[in-house]
Amino acid sequence: MTRRVAIVGTSAIPVGRHQTADDAELQTLEHEIMGRLVVEAVADAGVEKRDIQSLVFTLPRPYTRQKYFHTFLMGQLRLACRGTVMEVMGNGMTAALAFDQACNDILLGRAEVALALGINMESAVSAAEHMMSSMRTTGDVDFHTSAGFTPIAWYAMDAMRYMHEHGATRAQLGSVAVKNRAHAALNPLAQFRKPITLDDVLSQRPIVEPLGLYDVPGRSDGAACLVLASEGVARSLGRPYVRVRGRGFCHDGSHQISDVPNDMIAFDAARQAAQTAYAAAGIGPADIDIAELYAPCTIVEILVSEAIGLVPRGQGARAAADGETRLGGRIPISTSGGLTSRGHPAYVTSLYNYVELADQLRGRAGERQVQGAELGLATGELGNYNAALIHVLEAQR
Amino acid sequence: MTLAMMPVDEKRAYPPRVSAFTETFWSGLAQGRWRTVCCRSCSRATFPPKPVCPHCWSTDMEWTDLKPRGTIYSWTRIHAAPTVFASEAPYACGIVDLEDGLRIACRIVADPDGSLRIGAAVEIVVLQYNDGPLFAARLLD
Repeated sequence: MTRRVAIVGTSAIPVGRHQTADDAELQTLEHEIMGRLVVEAVADAGVEKRDIQSLVFTLPRPYTRQKYFHTFLMGQLRLACRGTVMEVMGNGMTAALAFDQACNDILLGRAEVALALGINMESAVSAAEHMMSSMRTTGDVDFHTSAGFTPIAWYAMDAMRYMHEHGATRAQLGSVAVKNRAHAALNPLAQFRKPITLDDVLSQRPIVEPLGLYDVPGRSDGAACLVLASEGVARSLGRPYVRVRGRGFCHDGSHQISDVPNDMIAFDAARQAAQTAYAAAGIGPADIDIAELYAPCTIVEILVSEAIGLVPRGQGARAAADGETRLGGRIPISTSGGLTSRGHPAYVTSLYNYVELADQLRGRAGERQVQGAELGLATGELGNYNAALIHVLEAQR
Repeated sequence: MTLAMMPVDEKRAYPPRVSAFTETFWSGLAQGRWRTVCCRSCSRATFPPKPVCPHCWSTDMEWTDLKPRGTIYSWTRIHAAPTVFASEAPYACGIVDLEDGLRIACRIVADPDGSLRIGAAVEIVVLQYNDGPLFAARLLD
C-alpha cells in the first residue's frame, strides 16, 4: 500500500514587523516564538512530543543572532529524534522544500510524525540595506549585480513583456492587489488588512516600473509550524486532515535568465511541475478549488495562474480583473491575501500558503472559507520561476 | 570594430570581480572590445563568458568577437535601489537579444526622449568608470 502524508496540525504568528532593533531595551527572541508555535501546532494535531521523529527547519535570516537555530531549538524543547533534523535553503522555494523534505521522511518511513517549521526575521533591517544582500542572489553577481539589478526588477521585466504581448494594463495587474487586500481583510494572520481601491494601487510611487508599492510585497517577519503525519496516524487521530495527493518539481536549468532567447514569461518550470503534480493526483487544473501561489508581485500571480492551467494563456490579467480569481469566483487564488497583503516573510512564506490551504480544506477558514473546498494547490518557486515545486492537497473530513 | 566609449567620472558602485578567465573580457571591454567565449566542441557561444560550455560541458572554449547590435526584449526602471546604487536611481535595466543570438541583461543608458520600449534597437557601449569598465545598452533610435 502506498504511504501517504497528511497535514494534521498548524500554527503561525500574524505576519508583520516583529524584529526588534539591535539596541532595543527588550528584544524579540526567535526561539521563544518558535517554541510556543511548536507546542501550539502539536496540540492542534493531537500527537505527542515523542511521536515527532523528524524536523525540517527553514534557514533563518542572517539577522538572527542564534546560529544553528534548529538544533538550539531542539535543545530548548528537549526534542530527541531518530529521523532527520536539518535546516533547508532553496531561495524562494525554501519553505516549500522544508514541507517537501518533511513529507519525504514520512514517505521513507523514517518518521510517523514530522515538523516543517521556521522563522523569518528581517524587518528591522532597511530595504536598501537588505538589498545589499538580496541583490547578490538573483542573476550573476559580477555581470548583473554590477548593473544594479534587484530581485524585484526581474518580475518588473516580466510585467513589461506581458503587457507588450497581451495588451494587459496596469489597472488589470492592480486588480490582483485589490483582490488580495480584500482577502487579507478577512485573515487574522495577514500583515496588511486595510482595504484598498484600484485608484490607491495606481497612484502609489513606482518601485520598479511598471510595478508600484502595492504591486510588490513589503518587508515581513513571520513564523509557522506544520505537523505532518503518515495517513495511518492521521486517521487514528479522528480529526479532519489534509492529504498530500500529488507533487511535481521542475528546474529549467537557468538562474534568473537564459542566454538562449526563450519565452521568459511562459514560466515553463511551473507548467511542467503542475503537469506532474496533476498526473500524480489523477486530476486536471479544472478540479482545483483553491490555489495559494508563491507570487511576490501581482504579475507573478497572473503568470503562474496561466502556466498551471487555471486560466488560459494571456487571459490571467483579464480573469483577475473580471473577478474569476476572487473569493466567490470561479477559481479563488490567494484567499489568504497572498504575498502582497498576507505578507512575505520570504524564507517561511510557503509555510503560510500551506497553513491557509490546511485551514480551507479542514473547513476552518471562517469568512474566507471556499465552500466545499476539496482540492487545493500550492506553488513554491525560485528565481524568475526558473524552478517550481507544486503540491496538490486534498480534504479528508 | 570597437564599441563607443562613454566616460563616467565616478567609481563603479558594485564592481565585478575579475578572474584569470574573465580578465580577457574585462580588459578587452576597457579597450572597446565586445567578446565572449564559444565552445570548440559544439560551436555554441555563451554569455557571460565561462570556462565550461553549458551545453556540452566541454572545457575547450575560445574567445570570439560579438556584434554590438541587439533589440530590447524587456526593460524596467529601478526606483527602489540597494544602498550603493541609491544615488543613481532611478536607472533603467533591461534584457537585450543580441544580433549574434545571445540574450544578455544589462544597464540601459539614459534616454532623454523616452524612446525606451520593447523591440527598440540598441548598441552595446562601454561605460568607462574611473576604476574600470561596465557594458550597457544604448538606444539607437
